Amino acid sequence: MAKIEDIGEIVSTEVLIIGGGVGGLATALKIKEANPKIDVLIVEKQTTGWAGKAAKIGGILSFLGPNNSADKFLDFQVNTSGFYLNDQELLLKYLQSSYRAIEQFGEWGAKLARTPDGKLVTIPTFWAPEYSTAYIDIDLMLPMRNKARKLGTTVLNKIHIVDLLKNENRVVGAIGFDIVTGKSFIFKAKATVLANGSCGYKVRRFWSAGTGDGIAAAFRAGAEMRNAEFGNLYAHTVFQETDCGMVGTSFLVNSLGENLLEKYMPGSGPTGVFLPVKLAISLEKEVNEGRGPIYFQPPPSAPPFGVHSGLPKISKWNERMEATERKHGFAPGVKHEIGVPLHGETSCINVDHDMKTSLEGLWAIGDTSYAGSAVAGAVASPPGVTPGSGIMFAVISAEWAALSAARYVAEAAPADISIAEAKSCKKNIFSSLERKKGFSPTEAIAVLQDVMAPIKYNLRRSKERLEEALTRLENLKEKMPVLQAKDPHYLSKCHEVKSMAICAELTFRAALMRTESRGFHFREDYPERDDKNWLKWIILKQDGHEIRLSTQPIPISKYKIKPAG
Amino acid sequence: MESSPKTWAKEVLIDLSKCTGCKTCVNACFLDVIRWNETDEQPIVAYPEDCVWCLACEDSCTEQCIEVIPNIPAPLRSSY
Repeated sequence: MAKIEDIGEIVSTEVLIIGGGVGGLATALKIKEANPKIDVLIVEKQTTGWAGKAAKIGGILSFLGPNNSADKFLDFQVNTSGFYLNDQELLLKYLQSSYRAIEQFGEWGAKLARTPDGKLVTIPTFWAPEYSTAYIDIDLMLPMRNKARKLGTTVLNKIHIVDLLKNENRVVGAIGFDIVTGKSFIFKAKATVLANGSCGYKVRRFWSAGTGDGIAAAFRAGAEMRNAEFGNLYAHTVFQETDCGMVGTSFLVNSLGENLLEKYMPGSGPTGVFLPVKLAISLEKEVNEGRGPIYFQPPPSAPPFGVHSGLPKISKWNERMEATERKHGFAPGVKHEIGVPLHGETSCINVDHDMKTSLEGLWAIGDTSYAGSAVAGAVASPPGVTPGSGIMFAVISAEWAALSAARYVAEAAPADISIAEAKSCKKNIFSSLERKKGFSPTEAIAVLQDVMAPIKYNLRRSKERLEEALTRLENLKEKMPVLQAKDPHYLSKCHEVKSMAICAELTFRAALMRTESRGFHFREDYPERDDKNWLKWIILKQDGHEIRLSTQPIPISKYKIKPAG
Repeated sequence: MESSPKTWAKEVLIDLSKCTGCKTCVNACFLDVIRWNETDEQPIVAYPEDCVWCLACEDSCTEQCIEVIPNIPAPLRSSY
């Protein structure tokens, strides 16, 4: 009989953290702060301290100040953004944790913008009551990584974890490979924490690392998913020039010069940084009816978009980015054509108030479970409704998971890996590498994007179009078994496209089931919100080769905020 | 590297005559574009097609010997 060592290098730990971005690092730090004796291992696909779902993490943090009202924000969030699909108890817990999380960054050595006398620079947000924004420098993960290592955390980089390993219903580790050498690794762990981000389908360049690997691994292992239909953020951006960020909604004009916010949402005032669904659909209509392209055209008197925090690293990087853009043809200060690319943010692993998934021994934090936690409700999350909430949710949910996982490993039995399961996983993982010819992952990603990115499928939804998208997705899935990788880098891409295809299917299946419109989920064939039938979460789970869907009633009677009527 | 309409960047240039071999650029790249060549003990632009010109490599290089050339206008993936 084969020995497990023949399948791959065995690495044992008490807590395995998959993902070395801000959430994974915060989890490690919180476990070590709670109990320094617990063995903690971070495994990261790229390089811990630099990697993460967002290329240039840092910038803004949104939070509730110590003198602000959590109840007022809750009221705003649930009534105007989450539309009653929030877990209101968890949202309140999140809000009450947010200011402490800001202070925590300073204690870990990250640089926050401060006044000359050392006070935190905070600016009230204009898009949400009671909320404020603080500024953090772009290199925030490096001091966190250094501190985590100092506290005894082990870090392994350049390893793509593909699958979780189970013993009955308990997750007991994971299996993956080195993306440089192709070497196989098996991780044995009493507890596993997924911290490797949401899925953005590689449409936008800065978020290209968000491929939903953790979500797909959890799904294949049998974990429940929730709120998958809301992972459909679209971000209006100066896309055709640079796709570098987001611009204000107030100055979008069509080719006739008509202001589109005034045209479609008169009297709405500033709508925040993110594009309202109604306006996004209107931009598509303008282009389809021949009044495109859409331009961003602020008046000369408009202040520059964004805030310069004075933080050294982010200021230097901003200057470099602007200089590069100008050198290579982006002219500042003129009207620019915009696009509305899919930003995605499928983050649907279902978790409880401790970020525990439905599987024993598995936690999911940050952008793997932001929507699945139901903190934000019927809205793509991050951002929820507040820019700057991605890092915050990562760090706050990391603490909840860390404390829960630390308690669990104190009592849990040692992990016992099945040789047969590991062997079978390894065979599947490497099959694309052994194939001499086949379907290239680069091409597969392009096909997937053509299904996932169009507004007509993912934002202006209908039964007919969702079924069309699912058929196209099925056609793509049929070609997945012949994906071909010429080396371990491309093998990683093969697994990324498989992960993204799972996230896409979860999104479309849930969207097809929800026969109403709510928040970011708009159905042309069911344009109204239906509180009578749809105060429910959609739960998705693997069932053989199918996805099993069910609903879970929102416990609205015990919540503070209820829909009118 | 050939400039392809589907790539975000045209080219990633490393002036190896200035490179000190600190590997910071290899670590800074979040998409595995830059690898460490163990034989030559130098960085190598292994997967330029995956570069999204986040400029983390350029920005972190102490010798300032990296230049990333973006594709502007950016390659489109229309949502309409």
